[in-house]
Amino acid sequence: MIALQRVIPGTLLAVRMQVPATVAQPSDKQGETSTAKPRDPAQIFATTCGWCHHKGGREAGKGPQLMGTSASDGEIIYRIKMGKAGYMPAFGTAFSEEEITALVSYIRTLKPR
Amino acid sequence: MTHWQKGLTSAAGVLIVVAFAVSTAHSWADGEVTYERIKNADKYPGDWMTYHGSYKGWHYSPLDQISSKNIDKLKIAWTHSMPRAIRGLQSMPLAADGVLYYSGPYNQVFALDGASGEVIWYYKQKLNEDLVSKQTHSPYNRGIALGYGNVYMGTLDGKLVAIDMKTGKLNWETKLIDSDKLTVGFTGAPLLVKDKIIIGSQGGEWPYRGPIFGVDAKTGKEAWKFYTVGGNEGTKSDARKTWGNDSWRTGGGGGWMAGGYDPDTNLVWWGTANPAPLYDYSGADYKNAGARPGDNLYTTSVIGLDPETGELKAYHQELPHDAWDFDSAVGEFLMLEKAGRKYIVHPNKGGFVFVYDRMGKPQNVWRLVKNINFVQDIKPDGTLVGRRDLTEGDHKGLCPFIAGGISWNSGSYDPRTGLYYKVGNEWCMDLTVKKTTPILEPMAQLNIGADFSMVPPPDGKIRGHVSARDPLTGAKKWEVEFPEPPLASLLSTGGNLLFVPDPRGWLRALDATSGKELWKHNNGQGHNGGIMSYLGKDKKQYVAVETGWGGLAGDDYASLFGKPYNSFPKDAGTLVVFTLQ
Repeated sequence: MIALQRVIPGTLLAVRMQVPATVAQPSDKQGETSTAKPRDPAQIFATTCGWCHHKGGREAGKGPQLMGTSASDGEIIYRIKMGKAGYMPAFGTAFSEEEITALVSYIRTLKPR
Repeated sequence: MTHWQKGLTSAAGVLIVVAFAVSTAHSWADGEVTYERIKNADKYPGDWMTYHGSYKGWHYSPLDQISSKNIDKLKIAWTHSMPRAIRGLQSMPLAADGVLYYSGPYNQVFALDGASGEVIWYYKQKLNEDLVSKQTHSPYNRGIALGYGNVYMGTLDGKLVAIDMKTGKLNWETKLIDSDKLTVGFTGAPLLVKDKIIIGSQGGEWPYRGPIFGVDAKTGKEAWKFYTVGGNEGTKSDARKTWGNDSWRTGGGGGWMAGGYDPDTNLVWWGTANPAPLYDYSGADYKNAGARPGDNLYTTSVIGLDPETGELKAYHQELPHDAWDFDSAVGEFLMLEKAGRKYIVHPNKGGFVFVYDRMGKPQNVWRLVKNINFVQDIKPDGTLVGRRDLTEGDHKGLCPFIAGGISWNSGSYDPRTGLYYKVGNEWCMDLTVKKTTPILEPMAQLNIGADFSMVPPPDGKIRGHVSARDPLTGAKKWEVEFPEPPLASLLSTGGNLLFVPDPRGWLRALDATSGKELWKHNNGQGHNGGIMSYLGKDKKQYVAVETGWGGLAGDDYASLFGKPYNSFPKDAGTLVVFTLQ
């Protein structure tokens, strides 16, 4: 997996304590294999996907509503990885296989709130 | 707020008479576009040589062949379709000596005969398509610059290119940003000032420091860059301490719309974008808590730079610690004067319009938009009153919506009427703010910090409006309401006309004095780009407007409003040019 967003030990803990630690240096080692823990899909929605799929995927925005989608897992995975020109960027190198699988699971469990 | 060089002499008190009347015998240059020629744009009313029309930033054409008296004879002269127009056309056509130049998605540029639409040349930048497919704010281009025999354009993959105005051949290209590493590139128009090309990078949602560059206009050599996130180390602009816990490393900022230039003070004025993450969970103690404690200079600010050196000479942060993504990236800097005093007028995405002196000191702040509650008010001196800082969790009815009370396209100032015409948006949002892990790696893409959805404002339906106001006080003379907020730029002309390209596809011409609709034409798809007027080589006046749908704000319209937006193509864009028949 390409190292695209590293979870910084200490930062996560600091966030929980509401006293952020000093933010770590940005990596100059992009392209390295990452051993980072996969991000929580709800976090990925709050940083990235929610820009277009509103309310954490529960409502349509720039992109379609994902809650209750009739798309197959394979179709969702393909769209996340490859995107669609004019509609959605390709996130195939931004998210790991594990994270994409977790995103599909997150979408499948979405309930109204 | 801190303002530097307060002692610099402004031209206040010096009466400068500006000639607004236009002779019917228009000047004709048919020579090179230079800084001096753009500076003296009043002498070349048939040209539109820079993004905002002139250094005055008015988006006003003094041409008056097409007027409120003969508008019924306005018909399409010619059209031109841009290939591969993904997300439509969002740029501003330019014209000089009867030739029209315009850019489109994937960094394509055309030079066309302004009277016939005949293609003179076509340029297409070689891009890393894999990179472009990963970019969120892409593949559109929002404009070009002319000068010294070149057409200048910033590219999606981080270059500034100079294309020969006569032949369309590449003269030079300079890599300014390592976009393959940082994701961001250039979408905004460059600005020619003296012997420099000024261009701002994307930023906002990405972990980079959003530089603005000065480049030698003739050689392409990078002359300077200014980091909108934290300023430049080793200079007095270094403001990284306003980003607690070294949070400047999570970035944001940038200056993705062409700014303005004031020849009187020799300052380039640029509006900067928001810090990342967009939504901070700090609550009221934002100076000490949250994802990016502090004011986060120089994001959501207007900055005055020396065009020769890039040195920061003045600034005003419109929203210290912007916690709502209501940035200052709007590129309009209207240079005005009244009663011997000179002003700069700059709209902020939050729905307020700031009035400054020529050194960036606030003189007044007025509301263009009714539904605003991210602050209770902003005082005339720029002080925010009653901030609605957010904490982790649910928040109902934050106004305006993330797309802004004011979007990035430009309004228009008509010196004949003394009125400033501007689009305002009435919409709000519910959001759930979340603590997110700091994003430090560029390819992780966005850094929003919340889930959200659009909701109607407290006073009624989602809507937009075009209003005509005193640019210094905001006093309203008239207002026209639209069921969906218009998203394109406006154009006023010497013919007492205000052109409003609306989102449904209608180009409307209003009486600039009264707001009465005089004419309309359906261009078949929405407008989300530029409009301008020029003279063709046949000495006839033309009005050129861009069409095509798929901008970041307009992309919400299909799910929000249904038809016609749910049937608009996302891969079509046409330049439609009108003249009197």
